[in-house]
Amino acid sequence: MAWEKFNPNLAAHDLVQDMKWNPEIRKEFKTNEAAVLDRYKMSPEERKAIKERDFRKLYDLGMHPYLGGQLSRFIWGNDAGKGAVEASNKLVASLQGHSRDIPEN
Amino acid sequence: MAEIVFAAGAPHAPAIVGLFDKAPDESRKVVTDTYTAISRELRDARPDVLIVFANDHLANSRITFYPDFLIGTAPEHSGPHEWFQEWIGCRDYTAKGNPDVAKALFQGMTRRGVRMSARDENLKFDDNISVPVTMTNLDQTDITLVPVLQNCTVPPFPSAERCFEVGHALRDFIEKDLPADMRVGLFGSGGLSHEPGGVRYYKIDEEFDRKFLELCAKGDHKTLFKEITVDRMEEAGIGGTAEVLSWFPVMAAIGERPGRSFGYTGWPSFRCGIGGVIWDL
Repeated sequence: MAWEKFNPNLAAHDLVQDMKWNPEIRKEFKTNEAAVLDRYKMSPEERKAIKERDFRKLYDLGMHPYLGGQLSRFIWGNDAGKGAVEASNKLVASLQGHSRDIPEN
Repeated sequence: MAEIVFAAGAPHAPAIVGLFDKAPDESRKVVTDTYTAISRELRDARPDVLIVFANDHLANSRITFYPDFLIGTAPEHSGPHEWFQEWIGCRDYTAKGNPDVAKALFQGMTRRGVRMSARDENLKFDDNISVPVTMTNLDQTDITLVPVLQNCTVPPFPSAERCFEVGHALRDFIEKDLPADMRVGLFGSGGLSHEPGGVRYYKIDEEFDRKFLELCAKGDHKTLFKEITVDRMEEAGIGGTAEVLSWFPVMAAIGERPGRSFGYTGWPSFRCGIGGVIWDL
C-alpha cells in the first residue's frame, strides 16, 4: 500500500488507540468484540473487514498500517519473546493473500 | 554558550530486546557493539541533559489531531507504557526529566518559527524511548532526559528539509538560550528500514540502510539529501523507514561532522535494519 489510500477519518484508528490506552476495552474486545465495535462510527465495510480479519480490505479503506499491525496483535497476540510472530505472520498473509515470504525463525 | 558534547543515532526496534536471545551471533554482536559504544561514550561525555528525538508511534495523540514534535516536560519519564510492556519485554524504568530545559526548548523553538507541542504528563513511551533508555541504562545515571516525539509516520510529516531547519533552530537554541556551562547530548532514535504492519513487514532494505549509515558517518549532508529522500525511505519500507528523519535534526544541529558506525545487521526477524552512528564533535 502507499499513502494515497490513507484515510485519517477511519474510526478503526480510534478503536486501536483506545485499546492501547485502556486494558478494559482490550479485555472486552476479546470477550465481546461486537459490543466494542458498536461504539464506533464505522462504515459497514470497515466493520465487516475487522470482523473477517481482512487487513487487505482495511488498508484499502485507508487504515494506517502501524495501527493495523497493532490491531493484529490485539487479535492474535503480542508476546515479545515470540516476537508476536503469529500476529505478524497472519497479518502479512492477509495482506498478501499468501504466506510464502514469511521466515521460519 | 551551552555545548553539544554528545550526538548519536540508532534504531529502537523492540525485537532487539525481545528476540535478542534468538538472534544469530553476528546480529547480536551489532546490537551489543552499537549500544555498548553509545552507552560508554554517553557517560564519558557527561551531558547534563540528553535531548532525544524519537518517533511517536501513534501512542500519544489521535490521528486526527497529530503534533509533528511533542516535547515531554514532565519531571520524570517512566515507561514502557502499560500496553507495550508485553510487546517489548524490557524492564521498567524512570528517567529523570528536565522541565526547565524542556520548557525552554518549547519556548525557544516557538520563537524560532518551529511549531512544537508540549505536555507535562508522563508521555506514553513504547520502543521509541524505552529501547535507548534501557539499552544505555540512562535511568541509572545523573543525565536528565528531554523526549521530543516526532511525527515520521502520519502524512504529511515534516520533510527532510524541514527536519534540517529544526536542527539549525535547535543549535541556535542550545547556543543562545541554555545556561552557558550546560552540557547537552543529542540522540536520534528511529529507523532503519522497516515496514511495521505493512505487506513488507519482513523486508529489510540492506542497500538503503548501508548507504544511509555510510553517509551519516561521513557527515556528507549534501549527498545525504540527494540520495536519502523521503521517497527513497518509503521505497525502503512505508511508515517505518522515514523514522530515520529523527536523526536529521541531530545532524543539522552538529553540522557536517564525521562519525563512527558499529556494524550492520538485517536479520529478518528483527523486522528492522540495525546499525547506529556516534558523531565526533
